[in-house]
Amino acid sequence: MKKITGEKREINMNRRTFLTGAAAGLAGAMLPLNKADASFWEAFFQKHFLEMNDAEKKKVIERLEKEYEQKYKKEITVGLENPMPGVLFGYGLDLSRCIGCRRCEYACVDENNQSKDPQIHWITVLRFKKGEKWIDLEESEKYYNPPLVPEPDYFYMPVQCQQCENPPCVRSCPTQATWKEPDGIVVVDYNWCIGCRYCMAACPYGARHFNWAEPNRKPEDINPKTHYLGNRPRYKGVVEKCTFCIQRTRNGRYPACVEACPVGARKFGNLLDPDSEIRYAIDHKRVFRLKEDLNTNPKFYYFFAYGV
Amino acid sequence: MTHIIKNFFIALKEVFIGSRRYYCWLAFLSLLILLGASAYIEQSGRGLIITAMRDQVSWGFYISNFTFLVGVAAAAVLLVVPAYIYNFKPIKEIVLFGELLAITAITMCILFIMADMGQPLRVWHILPVIGAMHFPASLLAWDVVVLNGYLAINTIIAFYVLYRLSIGKEYKMSVIGPLILLSIPWAVSIHTVTAFLYNGLSARPFWNASILAPRFLASAFCSGPAIMIVLFQIIRKFPNVEIENRALFKIAELVAYAMGLNLFLLGAEVFKEFYSGSIDTYPIQYLYFGLHGKTALVPWIWFATVLNITAFFMFLFPRTRENFLTLNMSCIFVIIGVYIEKGMGLVVPGFVPDTLGEIYEYSPTKPEILIAVGIWAAGALIYTILLKFAVPVYTGKIRFGVKKEGVPARHIMTKKLVTVTPEVSIEEVSRLLTSRNISAVPVVDKDNKVTGVVSESDIIFNEMRREPDFAKKLGGLVLSDTKGDKYTAAGSTAADIMTSPAVTALEESTLQELNQILIQKKIRRVIIVDGSGHPVGIISRGDILKILGKYLEK
Amino acid sequence: MEKCNKRVFISLAGLLLLIFFHPSFVESAERDIPKHFLVPPPPFSPGIFPCSQCHMYMPANKTPRKLEMHQEIVLKHMPGGWCFDCHNPDNRDRLRLANGKLISFDESYLLCGQCHGTILRDWKAGLHGKRTGMWNGEKLYRLCVHCHWPHEPRFKPIKPLPPPVRPSEIK
Repeated sequence: MKKITGEKREINMNRRTFLTGAAAGLAGAMLPLNKADASFWEAFFQKHFLEMNDAEKKKVIERLEKEYEQKYKKEITVGLENPMPGVLFGYGLDLSRCIGCRRCEYACVDENNQSKDPQIHWITVLRFKKGEKWIDLEESEKYYNPPLVPEPDYFYMPVQCQQCENPPCVRSCPTQATWKEPDGIVVVDYNWCIGCRYCMAACPYGARHFNWAEPNRKPEDINPKTHYLGNRPRYKGVVEKCTFCIQRTRNGRYPACVEACPVGARKFGNLLDPDSEIRYAIDHKRVFRLKEDLNTNPKFYYFFAYGV
Repeated sequence: MTHIIKNFFIALKEVFIGSRRYYCWLAFLSLLILLGASAYIEQSGRGLIITAMRDQVSWGFYISNFTFLVGVAAAAVLLVVPAYIYNFKPIKEIVLFGELLAITAITMCILFIMADMGQPLRVWHILPVIGAMHFPASLLAWDVVVLNGYLAINTIIAFYVLYRLSIGKEYKMSVIGPLILLSIPWAVSIHTVTAFLYNGLSARPFWNASILAPRFLASAFCSGPAIMIVLFQIIRKFPNVEIENRALFKIAELVAYAMGLNLFLLGAEVFKEFYSGSIDTYPIQYLYFGLHGKTALVPWIWFATVLNITAFFMFLFPRTRENFLTLNMSCIFVIIGVYIEKGMGLVVPGFVPDTLGEIYEYSPTKPEILIAVGIWAAGALIYTILLKFAVPVYTGKIRFGVKKEGVPARHIMTKKLVTVTPEVSIEEVSRLLTSRNISAVPVVDKDNKVTGVVSESDIIFNEMRREPDFAKKLGGLVLSDTKGDKYTAAGSTAADIMTSPAVTALEESTLQELNQILIQKKIRRVIIVDGSGHPVGIISRGDILKILGKYLEK
Repeated sequence: MEKCNKRVFISLAGLLLLIFFHPSFVESAERDIPKHFLVPPPPFSPGIFPCSQCHMYMPANKTPRKLEMHQEIVLKHMPGGWCFDCHNPDNRDRLRLANGKLISFDESYLLCGQCHGTILRDWKAGLHGKRTGMWNGEKLYRLCVHCHWPHEPRFKPIKPLPPPVRPSEIK
């Protein structure tokens, strides 16, 4: 047994140095010392998106495009299209048509550069058995895998971000990393999100998804036309969700899911335009929204085409 | 100012000196911390995917621990209220240790939050001005404000008290009184805000219930004090630290009431959920009975409920409460029971079923548990270090001379001390003073702490009031009466006529300081006490005159 | 000399006939789609159109019966109906509405809309069926027949894409 008395000071020193060394090593391991380039510190000190002026935003875009090019070895553009004035996007989903084929789910994955492994899907298609209680969603199922759809006793309901007008996720975010844009899209700044996941607890629709690991997508599968607030490649530890294909819709195009649906169950348009198809649906069909009792005021309207 | 910093580091050295057992304890904690740290390094590399959390259950073990620890921190205030508001002396001494526990608990909370974050380096985004703090809309922003404020309040109070003790002075109520008073509603608020964090989410029916905030506070006031009861029994093993059993039993009594309230609120929740039976009650069904065959949490919650109910009865009855074996058992029961019920039993059912009806059974992975263990070990280490620093200051082992000139009291005082207890009759006290040829005697309670002093003047004046002609008989022999017309009947005790509280000073007080006290308070003598309030000597004007005489002779 | 001229005249006439009645010419001339409902070409089986290739020289037999050609077509639409309820016996390259008006195959939605009027109304508003393009600009519709084969319009089930990975399987 070692005598403690005389060697106490040495032991103190040894343990002290060891602990200090361990602490320093720990701190060092946290710092991205291999990312010694200025780009890391620029990213670290990047301001909140809404506080940046156009010049600063441009600088951020340049940095991001360079980073993406280094990572994916292909040219990726990051757009900054502003919301169009007089536009409030609305979405319609015809429940009498959806056959649960999931083509929308996968079109979204490809358009929006979602990670394949670990897998992230922004759209979830739920299957309900006819005749059983279904609005509670507890009897729903998302892992159905029959040989053919639609199946005779079931119906299908896709769910994605409802782009609420009174979004509980925006209210809960402690750093204001998620907010509602003037055209109604609820966006996330992937460079500001701290990954606390409070917004995921707050969302009543399970629409928000987290990058539990570094998102993994092959360079050849990357859609190179992106938007800063939309489908640009994300990072580990941040939240992402459907943005109504902001990179397409702010350029006048339909979202990818609308175009992918083989039965035309998905409708999209400007709620402020009385001649849009979405307004037609609201005015002529019996629309409802999910969990309306929570007063989130979603802009995602479900309806049945039959009836006037 | 520099000497304060210097003294701080001198006191800090105490942390590195200790017995063999102390080193073993530190080594054990360091090992656990390193294990946790290595798991955390893996997590920062690979991401939170190494935990069992997924989109469906996006908060888990880390946040469970966080919630439990906020309650522990809030409960430190349970000591503050009886100590300062009701002036319950036995608790007053141990408020410091409660505050150190609060500091430790809040630090652990911060560590758990940092462990849970997806982008921890960006945490500065949550700050106001330099970040974009979403205050007052986000309850998480509120939580950051109140938790850090609470940490600041407790750190200031604890270190101010320690600072004053270290220089041989008592703390000034005028300085920290307002802070202490503020800490009471603030402690309630940290746990209320944390409850509101869950409470405000309409998306999660299990949490979206008004009962959450009261239940949080009730369970906090069980678990925190239970931890303190266990810790204080360990702390009073330090030399010179006295923590009365009375204090511990009083705290235990408060735990009984808190647990009773907690169980009542649980009953209220259980009734509402199981009787109304709407879809929103699926989470509590999952918790207590399982849902669609998924039963991972069921044995845990029943175990916790049984522990809580058992502990309630053990705390309630004085026989089991005031027996240290059963007391410690029930403390352990409460700690485990509340840890389960308020930790995993609160966080996980909020996510099951998820918003789209899916049931994902969450069970922490090995790295998660290692990181949690590491943070608990870090907390134990912090508390150990705080105690190792604070206890020597508290007991008087460490004192800093603030350039004192002059003779300390311990060299001047009369050491052969006579004391009486409050029940002693006035006649006996009178006889004592005459026989020993002393002019006053300190009155001590059954713990040998000074509660008052009975002097010749007190006895004379008492008689004077009983017989109005007596004053005329004595003439102007005595000093003025300070007690007015109140008199006591014959057969009274020392307690009835003593001056209380007695004027005391610590052993290190200098001659100058003592002089000041005697002149300002217009008294003849000062009772010298040690750090715990036990009388060790007495200095009267006569003693000072003697010293003066010696000095003048030179 | 006269014999030579007659031969030239007949060849020229034949050439002209060929030019004017050649299927490709006929097809392109018939495809005038109203700009309002921009649709892709109808999904004909390859080579089947124009129908007049064969039917120009055949007299129309208006008796409902089982056909010798087109045997793969089993009519599961409009019970009790048969070919000439929609097809035009006098010119197979056209469809015939109930009021006798002839429409091209590119406007077949007018024919379907006679019975399925509410669907047609929704389709025109963009609410029925798939549309691609610009939500605030030009859109490409689809003809009814692009999704519903008119002889058996019920939508056939298709193979779904794979379900998402379960959370416990994400490592």
